[in-house]
Amino acid sequence: MLKLEGVTVRFGGLTALRDVSFSLAEGEILGLVGPNGAGKTTLFNTISGLIQPQGRILLKGVDVNRLPLHKRARAGIGRTFQIPQPMHHLTVRENLVVAQAFGAGRHDPGRIDEILSFMELARQAERNAATELALQELKRLEIAKALAIEPKLLLLDEVLAGLESQAKRQFMLKLKELHSHFGLTIVIVEHDIETIMNLCTRAVVLNFGQLIANGTPEEVFRDPAVIESYTGAAHA
Amino acid sequence: MSSHVPSVSRPSSWPSSIVFVGIALVLAALPLAAGAGNYFLGLLISALILAGISLAWALLGNLGGMVSFGHAAFFGVGSYASALLSAKLGLPVLLSVPLAGVIAVGASLLMIPALRLSGPYFALAILAYSQIFRILATELSWLTGGAAGFQAIPQLPTVLGLDLASRSGSYVLLVVVVALCALVYALVRRSLVGTALRAIADSEDATRVVGVNSMLLKAWMLALSAFITGVFGALNAHIIGFLEPDYAFSGVWSVLPIIAAIFGGYRTTFGPIGGAVIIYLFDQVVAKSIIAVGHQILLGFLLAAMILLAPNGLLGLAERFLKGRRDAEA
Repeated sequence: MLKLEGVTVRFGGLTALRDVSFSLAEGEILGLVGPNGAGKTTLFNTISGLIQPQGRILLKGVDVNRLPLHKRARAGIGRTFQIPQPMHHLTVRENLVVAQAFGAGRHDPGRIDEILSFMELARQAERNAATELALQELKRLEIAKALAIEPKLLLLDEVLAGLESQAKRQFMLKLKELHSHFGLTIVIVEHDIETIMNLCTRAVVLNFGQLIANGTPEEVFRDPAVIESYTGAAHA
Repeated sequence: MSSHVPSVSRPSSWPSSIVFVGIALVLAALPLAAGAGNYFLGLLISALILAGISLAWALLGNLGGMVSFGHAAFFGVGSYASALLSAKLGLPVLLSVPLAGVIAVGASLLMIPALRLSGPYFALAILAYSQIFRILATELSWLTGGAAGFQAIPQLPTVLGLDLASRSGSYVLLVVVVALCALVYALVRRSLVGTALRAIADSEDATRVVGVNSMLLKAWMLALSAFITGVFGALNAHIIGFLEPDYAFSGVWSVLPIIAAIFGGYRTTFGPIGGAVIIYLFDQVVAKSIIAVGHQILLGFLLAAMILLAPNGLLGLAERFLKGRRDAEA
């Protein structure tokens, strides 16, 4: 489904990503982990098209690296932002209508209603998305917008951050349901190891812009290099 | 616009819009019915020219979030284009006016690279750009008459027995053109493209990641705004019959529309029109009678008061008042 080959991003003298390569099979849920500043969001920005890196990004075998942001969405890459970015001045429903029309190229009110209902936003559908939603609702809207473009690949950037434990558990169940209901391939950035263990089929670890581990969550979190990256000391 | 985007019928509030249009047309007909004199009609004609540019400015500001300080460029290009097409090539005035709008669109294409900029950077870029055309109009004296000005601009013709060159004829024509532009603005605003453009203003990345080609949509809005401004520049040229670069490209055509649109409520369709009429009449009738020289200072006070008391403008204030009454009744 997704293959990254030698992806490198430099901001002036800083190398944010260095020669990152990995692939992802259809239907997988990949956890992207690493300490703050490891390059996780930068990697999301390169896959979704906000940043154009060196290297190749293949979506179903097609190199999408030269495609502008809006064309990546139309190619089937949906994403959320760590800090929710609703479309201002629009209602929740209008956010989804715009996303569906421009991202999926069609108008299907039934599908919009289905997504609103699935993401538990039906009651908030006519509210102003930017000013009348709570944080948890904004996070659900982020996912709903991404679903509206009918993605093949969904990039979730810390969608569980800032939620208290009960809400986090419910949200995690929702993500599992979403994966099976919409048949998606998902990459999720998450700090919480328990979440990765529960949710993901595989995990990739970044540290200082480099990929340091790639395997099942169990394998990855036993890896001494990963433990060192989190604790700052070699595992005894 | 884009074959990728399906046409979608948007939820609308047509009945209230029709009432609004009806009231506006009745108000527009009042001066004629009351037998207003040429002086007052002249003021209204100038106010409607300003209303047209304000509408075009608000279209760009509201749909796409581009704050322009350079609409004088489109106004001036439209003025000169129509004057030259009709006077030198002998084209009928009613053909040269829309063509002038098209030429203003051509001029706006030069601004497309600046669409990558936002906020004050875009505003400064378009301000600098507008100066280029003033200099061109001055330097190309073999074509434009240069600083000495361009005279003998053909007048508006008579259509269906109505002499458009007369004050009442020009007034009727401008009411119709302003109404048509408001209709186009309202239709664009209600469309799916307009909905996306409203979002682009404050959340461009959020729209791009769901597949919106923001650059293309903003370019369309810039072109539409330039067309409307160019048409009003052209109509003004045929009404006043004389042009010179410092007048046609004056900063007044960039600044006054902003004041009018913000005063009336630039996020609404009728706000810029109402704002322009009130601002212009206030300046010419009230402010001038209080302070003969430097009367524009009162405009500044009026705008400052409006921004402090009602940041959404006159129409926003009216909506708040009506909503308050409805809530009180409920």
